Amino acid sequence: METLGFLIDGFGVALAPHNLMFALMGAFLGTLIGALPGLGPANGVAILIPLAFSLGLAPETALIMLTAVYAGAMYGGRISSILLNIPGDEPAMMTCLDGYPMAQQGKAAEALAISAIASFIGSLVATVGLILLAPVLARFALTFGPAEYFALFLLAFATLGGITGKNPVKTVVAACLGLMVATVGIDSTGVQRYTFGTLELYEGIDFIIAIVGLFAISELLFFIEERAGGGKKKMVVNKLKLSWGDIRNVLPSSIRGGILGFIAGVLPGAGASLGSFIGYTLEKKVVGKKGFFGQGDPRGVAGPEAGNNGASSGALVPMLTLGVPGSGTTAVLLALLISLNITPGPLMFTQNADIVWGVIAALLIGNFLLLILNIPLVGIFVKLLSVPPMYLLPCVTMIAFVGIYSISNTTFDLYFMVAFGIAGYVLRKLEIPLVPVILGLLLGPEMEKNLSHAMDISDGDWTILWNSGLAIGLWVFAGVGLILPYIVGPILRRRMKVDAAATAGNPEGD
Amino acid sequence: MTFNDRIFGVLLIALAVAYGWGASQFPEPFGGSEAIGPDTFPTLLAVVLGLCSLYLIVRPDPDHAWPWSRTGVELVIAVVVLVFYAMLLEPLGFIISTTLAVGTLCWRMGAEPLRAYLVGAVAGVVVFLLFNFALDLALPLGLLSFLEVS
Repeated sequence: METLGFLIDGFGVALAPHNLMFALMGAFLGTLIGALPGLGPANGVAILIPLAFSLGLAPETALIMLTAVYAGAMYGGRISSILLNIPGDEPAMMTCLDGYPMAQQGKAAEALAISAIASFIGSLVATVGLILLAPVLARFALTFGPAEYFALFLLAFATLGGITGKNPVKTVVAACLGLMVATVGIDSTGVQRYTFGTLELYEGIDFIIAIVGLFAISELLFFIEERAGGGKKKMVVNKLKLSWGDIRNVLPSSIRGGILGFIAGVLPGAGASLGSFIGYTLEKKVVGKKGFFGQGDPRGVAGPEAGNNGASSGALVPMLTLGVPGSGTTAVLLALLISLNITPGPLMFTQNADIVWGVIAALLIGNFLLLILNIPLVGIFVKLLSVPPMYLLPCVTMIAFVGIYSISNTTFDLYFMVAFGIAGYVLRKLEIPLVPVILGLLLGPEMEKNLSHAMDISDGDWTILWNSGLAIGLWVFAGVGLILPYIVGPILRRRMKVDAAATAGNPEGD
Repeated sequence: MTFNDRIFGVLLIALAVAYGWGASQFPEPFGGSEAIGPDTFPTLLAVVLGLCSLYLIVRPDPDHAWPWSRTGVELVIAVVVLVFYAMLLEPLGFIISTTLAVGTLCWRMGAEPLRAYLVGAVAGVVVFLLFNFALDLALPLGLLSFLEVS
């Protein structure tokens, strides 16, 4: 019951008027980011981090706002899936399958409302799961020594590509590059590493600059290559006619999807895309012949949508308790934590209990806010779909410039950001994933610290790294995480593709 | 065609070697060397990266085409605009440099020139006012500093 007490304290934090205001703002901005074409959740959160900094927000306020953005972006991603058959982000892919047919039958408003409700339920289920699981996991993680942590970081890298990832070697390459950049600067013993005598490099490379460059600037370059062009045609949404019966009809699907999504989110290597995929497949199995999946069955909207939101809340569990994010967006949130001088991991639950529980409470409140925002205001978000990317992306780039500039008021950082953007573009062209690069940047210092602690304990004996049962377990898991994509990946990817192609009929690329 | 990964692999090996060599040049930390010095972790990284890049050279993935012709030029223009934006932000001031940078980007991405620069100007002014008055963050005025109200 200790948890309940903490949670009540957390509500005290989250319900403070200014925190509530920032949560509302974050939820709105997040939905906006999710809905706008060409702005993914990780990208959106990354651009807002420097702003949260330069505004000088208190740590809990900044975290609450960006968590709300994160939750909101997951809501927003579904809008273009349903209306245009173009997923706003990858996890929203499965929502296209039944959402778009519903829209074609003139039931777009219903599909949007149902998906909002399913998102809400999925997040709610997963947040409850988070509340129950996180303290337990944090307590367990307290038994980790430096060797276990080192293995855990390796596990995080190994599974980051996900089961559906393509080439695990490229994930490793990406992680190495990130870790290498992280070693630049003066290390803990006072030795300069790779600074080339440049004063600006003594403190290392600020990962916020790297993240914004890698995401925002490379996105701009990518869009230029793909001929950004004009906006989508104006969409009209019919008037909402939703009865309680309809909601009750999708309730079981949403709850099932939420639970599955939560599990997929917590597990390393699964992530939101798999969460929504499993959510959809299970719905098809459970409902069976009675359903009309692929032709606009509301349950086919609810299942994956709840799954994807459940997974995104679930992904916060490893991030908060172990300090090891399982997805791109949670990695960006981790960046925020580190720059706020909060050491993520199990100790956070005792040392920064107010922040952790404030964020968890804010997640619950944020969900209600999002539901309230999303049903009446959906018209506004729908209009955003027709914002042409050719105006939007330059403006986003400008915001990135302003944000980075306002951190330190030097233009040196801006050159760095542009350089990272170009690097990000080249890496993406070579199909080298960017998220491990970022994770390497973030975890590099911690990883090295744990390695040297472990070595200090063992007096230079490398075998300490796999000397405990727990560490061996983590190593094995990491190994499996690297090899599994070779075996299961092609099969899963093919199935996701077949499902998407068979039902969507006319996939518009993307 | 499988050139990309091969070339990239070779570059990465060069990087790994340079990086590893760099690590071997670190001065010994004050107080003598220990089991883990400043060079241990970088050396480890260099080895792992080297092995992975060998793999990339041996078993490369199929290529993505690089945008050589026109789009390539557009990309170069975009990068140049970004670099100039960073360079001119302080001398010209935020509003003017934003008008130029955002305008040029919009225009090159397919918007009408007039509308593009108009969007740039509006975005610059709005963000400037928002930052300087609502959020209390000073962005440089540059050439327009005669407008400053103090």
